[in-house]
Amino acid sequence: MAETTKTNTQLFINGLLNENPIFRLALSMCPAVGISTTVMNGLLLGIAVIFVQVFSSCTIALIKDYIHPRIRIPTYTLTIATWVTVIDLVLAAYLPVAYKAMGIFVRLIVAFAIITMRLEVFASRNRVITSFWDGMGMGFGFLLGMVILGAIRELMGMGTLLGYDILGFRPLLFFVLPAAGFFLIGFIMAIFNYVEMAYKRKTK
Amino acid sequence: MKEIIKITVALTISCLLAGVVMGSVFIVTAKAKKHNAHLNTQHTMLGLLGYGKNRPAPSGLKLYNIYRYIITESESKYLGYMLPVKKGNSTGYELLVLDLKRQFVSRHSLDILPENTIDPENRKTALKSVLTPLATVSYADTTIVASLNDKRIAYLLPGEFPGFKTFINAMLALDADFKILGLEIMEHEEDPGLGGEIEQEYFKNQFKGKPFEKTKKLKVIKDPLPEEYRKYLEKRKWKKEQFSKEDIAAIQKHYQDKDIYALTGATISSMAVTNGIRNMTKKFAYRIKILDKVIASRNVPVSF
Repeated sequence: MAETTKTNTQLFINGLLNENPIFRLALSMCPAVGISTTVMNGLLLGIAVIFVQVFSSCTIALIKDYIHPRIRIPTYTLTIATWVTVIDLVLAAYLPVAYKAMGIFVRLIVAFAIITMRLEVFASRNRVITSFWDGMGMGFGFLLGMVILGAIRELMGMGTLLGYDILGFRPLLFFVLPAAGFFLIGFIMAIFNYVEMAYKRKTK
Repeated sequence: MKEIIKITVALTISCLLAGVVMGSVFIVTAKAKKHNAHLNTQHTMLGLLGYGKNRPAPSGLKLYNIYRYIITESESKYLGYMLPVKKGNSTGYELLVLDLKRQFVSRHSLDILPENTIDPENRKTALKSVLTPLATVSYADTTIVASLNDKRIAYLLPGEFPGFKTFINAMLALDADFKILGLEIMEHEEDPGLGGEIEQEYFKNQFKGKPFEKTKKLKVIKDPLPEEYRKYLEKRKWKKEQFSKEDIAAIQKHYQDKDIYALTGATISSMAVTNGIRNMTKKFAYRIKILDKVIASRNVPVSF
């Protein structure tokens, strides 16, 4: 794959919709299913992913010419791990309040498929600026997916949104359990696919 | 062959670079991180004793640290307690050595200032200087005794126990009769949204007010948490005068002999915390009774 011809805005939108990490690429499903139980969890994990994705994408885009093709993946993992550690330490030292809320999410990120995949598919073939926007798109796409899932699951499972009581009762506890995450992702994926099909038919 | 060498070199360099970056960030942030952790612990300890923004700690409140060590000397093991003692008007530290049969062995005065005991290295040096050169010391745990106007009001126990994934780091507060005053989860790596809920008020506050007799046999039940109890546990969400004093007393009385309601989808984490707290309380109660007996029989002028 050659360098991308898309503009920065297109790259950003691409991450949000056309190639949404959760609903289109179906990557990083494990955290998407496990952690999207509340809006807050989704939001915090999303923010953490944005930072790590953007920093790692930029780093790889910067050093792509020096990476031996045989050890691409170890290098990506190493880059992600380094950034995760750096963010974890800096948060703990200078933003203790944020660290208390986000620390646990930041540490989870090392093993996220979406970040490694984006480094391999995009950052290792593109310039720093475009990689930055791709990273932003992917990060925000993930955040969007997590917040949608979190909102539905929190509302349906606990009757609250962001901890505030909305419904006053708990409709279906099932939505809090991991299995509900799979169902929901399946449904939203279907909606994404349907919209895409409808859109294609129209433009034809 | 050439390829292999190339790969090895490239990988080594990448690892070294990553190591240098992580190491330098660690060095730069270590001090601020330690300071934050210390502040956080201090804040948590006062919070567990019921002091906070709205209720500042009285000046008569003092926190004393007791450090427990295992001392190994030529194949036999001893327990070493570093205790704060009165030295004229100030506080000093003494080492009290007990054997495994809980009998008194020896007493040593330590040359260390109370404010320096926080650093483990300082403690080790002070201990080494009074023990025989052959003895090795290994740190076991710390207990913090809170005393108000020279009366013991609570014990604070920082502790660690295995959770679902890794260790859970918690701080437990007991009153003088070992009734649980409060529990705070300091650090854990349970799954957010499932086991991670152990740090939520509706779980950790369930331990509050459990008498020692109940804590000894505490277990987890899988019944759903009653709505009224949940509202009571979530203190931060209380509206003004939502619960009158009588309500609080009634709910507390009704639930204090109940077991712990498990978290939905995280029974193992709930059980891990419950077992951890039960064991911590039981072991501590046993140890402090022995220690108090020895202190009384030897007339150690302890500060607490």
